[in-house]
Amino acid sequence: MPVVGSRRAMPDFSLTPEQESLRDMARKFARTEMAPHAAECDRTARFPEEIYRKAFDLGLMNLNVPADYGGSGLASLEQCLIVEELAYGCGGMTTSIIANCLALEPILLLGTPEQKSRVLTPFCSKYQLASFALTEPSGGSDAGAVRTRARRQGDHYFLDGEKCFITNAPHATLYTVFATVDPDKRHRGVTAFMVPRSAEGVLPGKDEEKMGHRASSTGTVRFENVRVPESDRLGGEGEGFALAMRTLDQTRTPIGALATGIAQAALDHAAKYALKRETFGRPIAEHQAIQIKLANMAQAVHAARLLTWHAAWTIDHGGKGTLESSIAKCFASDAALHVADEAIQTFGGYGYMKEYPVEKLLRDAKLTQIYEGANEIQRTVIARELLREYQ
Amino acid sequence: MTSRIVVVGEVHHDHLIEATLEAIGKGRELAGSEGVVGFVGGSHAETAASEFARFGIGEVRWARDGVLDDRAAGRFAPTIATVADLEKASLILVGGTNFGRDLAGHLAIRWNAGTATGVTDVRTDGESLTVRRPVFGGRATETRRLEGPRAVLALRPHAFAVAPESVVPPHILPVPTAEVPSAWGGTKCLGTEVVPAGSGPALTDAAIVVSGGRGVRAPENFHLVEELAASLGAAVGASRAVTDAGWRPATFQVGQTGKSVSPQLYIAVGISGAIQHIVGMVSSRVIVAINSDPTAPIFKVADYGIVGDLFQITPALTSEIRKVRGL
Amino acid sequence: MEIVVCVKPVPEAETRLRVSADGTRLDPEGVKFVLAGYDESAVEQALLLKESIAGSRVHAISFGPAPRTEEVLRASIALGCDQATWIEAPTPVPDDPVLAARALARAIASAPHDLVLCGKQAGDDESAIVATALGELLGVPVFGYVVDLKWDPGRSRLTFHRVMESGQESWESPLPCVIGLQQAWNDPRTARLPMILKSRKAPITKATMPDPAGNSRSVPAKFELPVARTGAKLIEYKSPEEAALKLVRILREDAKVFP
Repeated sequence: MPVVGSRRAMPDFSLTPEQESLRDMARKFARTEMAPHAAECDRTARFPEEIYRKAFDLGLMNLNVPADYGGSGLASLEQCLIVEELAYGCGGMTTSIIANCLALEPILLLGTPEQKSRVLTPFCSKYQLASFALTEPSGGSDAGAVRTRARRQGDHYFLDGEKCFITNAPHATLYTVFATVDPDKRHRGVTAFMVPRSAEGVLPGKDEEKMGHRASSTGTVRFENVRVPESDRLGGEGEGFALAMRTLDQTRTPIGALATGIAQAALDHAAKYALKRETFGRPIAEHQAIQIKLANMAQAVHAARLLTWHAAWTIDHGGKGTLESSIAKCFASDAALHVADEAIQTFGGYGYMKEYPVEKLLRDAKLTQIYEGANEIQRTVIARELLREYQ
Repeated sequence: MTSRIVVVGEVHHDHLIEATLEAIGKGRELAGSEGVVGFVGGSHAETAASEFARFGIGEVRWARDGVLDDRAAGRFAPTIATVADLEKASLILVGGTNFGRDLAGHLAIRWNAGTATGVTDVRTDGESLTVRRPVFGGRATETRRLEGPRAVLALRPHAFAVAPESVVPPHILPVPTAEVPSAWGGTKCLGTEVVPAGSGPALTDAAIVVSGGRGVRAPENFHLVEELAASLGAAVGASRAVTDAGWRPATFQVGQTGKSVSPQLYIAVGISGAIQHIVGMVSSRVIVAINSDPTAPIFKVADYGIVGDLFQITPALTSEIRKVRGL
Repeated sequence: MEIVVCVKPVPEAETRLRVSADGTRLDPEGVKFVLAGYDESAVEQALLLKESIAGSRVHAISFGPAPRTEEVLRASIALGCDQATWIEAPTPVPDDPVLAARALARAIASAPHDLVLCGKQAGDDESAIVATALGELLGVPVFGYVVDLKWDPGRSRLTFHRVMESGQESWESPLPCVIGLQQAWNDPRTARLPMILKSRKAPITKATMPDPAGNSRSVPAKFELPVARTGAKLIEYKSPEEAALKLVRILREDAKVFP
């Protein structure tokens, strides 16, 4: 523990009244507007646009966009507080709500003031969705192997290619697309573009049927000879890969919060059930097997939350936060899967039934290990950042 | 407290309401029949005024002005305060309906009295009055001491016994209606839409809930549960087994995947007490279970239980309650 | 129209209730305080009226201790109230609704008030006394259990329904008056995020409470939680009639849940 003069410096984990107000508002929205429809949207894979519209009206979308451009302009920690509460209500809906943040982050990081005011301000002024289009059929984790081509012609480009597993793609009005100007250059050729859905040749595919996050819409989007003016390119040619990585540095932490929200929901369900359900003459919460389970689940949830908070704090205080956010995302998503699994086990046979809410949590948790940087990649990132300190 | 008690009557369809009869009962207990004076207001309150005498209260004061024909408690307060002073009363009791609670609030100021609403227990010890009342939606109980020479209590309906019948000669004294504050001059009741009979209270709001379960055996037997509920003025609920089987709509279901209720009294008829049902009703103040199986888990959470044949117990209970309530 | 809305911070519905060390009240340690449910409806109604009557303002007033009362006023501002006044109560908070009414009346009397809205009752003490006592103190008509509140500008009358046990009454009243709201016309709105951020910096007027000495006639003496259930008392009987008789007697005398 660092000693400063004669005082010991301790971190203050308490939230400010403002942070509590934001969290409470998100909690209320999640419990009253999202949660009541979560099971139905999961069952029918319905995209609850009316809920997303409400989220927008309340200022819960575009959290990362500064107020000057029409967003909520929240720091990373405040975003995490909100995202965890939303995910407690429904992980799938949260994914669609925060997908705008992911899609718009590259514009925030590398967009010129002209681009920001031309694109962000009108975008944030009304309800609409945006998509971050990086993943392709031939490569997700291997982001440098992007095959979507951007052929330059004078002061514009023509985009050709296909993106897949893109959140909100079937509904988005704006895509942040990563294409390569020169495949031989690998990741040094990747370039980022802002592409409106209205551009000719933009072909969003249909909604994919998913294991979880079924209230969220995911699909392919094909670009066939899409004309993109140079003024819609973000940064310079070849700067796209670094931009994508910097974007993920910002968005990894809220995914940790999303996973924490799912894990907390699973823990709450399991603990409450364990106190009421009786076997062998007493509540199962009195059986050691269940107590050990709940203890492990609680440890995982607490750790996930604190790792996420620490990563957010690091970023908010000017740190790059790559190591911290990778640890947070990786740990929290693994925790969510494990906690949801144990929650089903706690419910026993009832946990396996769709009428009970826990099996959905496992299906929702699984995606958090895969998207926004698969956990295998997170681990290589952690290793790389870690080993750097020893060289 | 040996001085007099004024019991304010609330009139519905020309008769004193049950909550007033409960207030009369408590008044008689505290001060004896001679210590209680009844009060009614309004131009059509003659029948109600004479009903006090059926329950042991001969002395009644009746303010006959039509300005008291509506349930605007603010118009009543000045007259009642005046009457209470004239009778040298130190306590005013009223049934804790919406009107009664409103009246209590007015009298707290107008009569400068210690006031409590939703009261479920009243004790006097020499100078002060101690009351108990539920708080936090019935999850806790507070005890309050009311200090000073005057008190107004709005009694929680169903918390006290209706006064026993005891016919005495009536003495109804008309009293002047005190001037209603001029600010009330422009207020007007435009009409009342009466609640249709038979549509019982909503499940989640009801003070009493009677629920039926699989033990009822067939949909044509469920009327036993509903008749018991009707005798109590209660809402009707059901276990998931009943709603799943289609004997009653899903809106009747009390339980984990149905409604949560926390009434004063929950009677579970033929319900085994599976946890999925328990979580929906366990915060009820008093739980009574009727089931033929002595090992049924419902008896673990119930306060009182009758192990027996519900087809005999339930109608007997309905009959007894109807008798006691004079239905 | 100048609309005053009285709000109260109460423990949130899911709070684990604990008894204070002296046994007289709820232990506030660790309790999260929020805007009372019916008060939320009152704020919503006030805002709806403000939006429909040009030139109207909504003034939120609350009586209570720091910090919960200030937080509830900021929550009211975040919802859209134009200004807020806080009458600070000492700790331990005097738990007397008549005292609260006196404090509120004093603050309201010195401010413009065409209409005063209150929630029907607060989720903690549920006394439902404040609105009516306020009406008496301000010398204006007061109506509780109101739903469907409307303003008729042509006749300068407020029209509304009161939900009573005897039926639904239809009323009209001139202003000024006090209304105790039972429910909102619409679902209470949720504060928007930008408004929440703005409300943190909004100014809140402080007012003083009247001297409580000699004014409180209602003193909390004990606060009890129900005893945990230990299993049903089984009723012994020889005939169904006897079982019924015994149960009814128990419900009336022992459980005091008189049917």
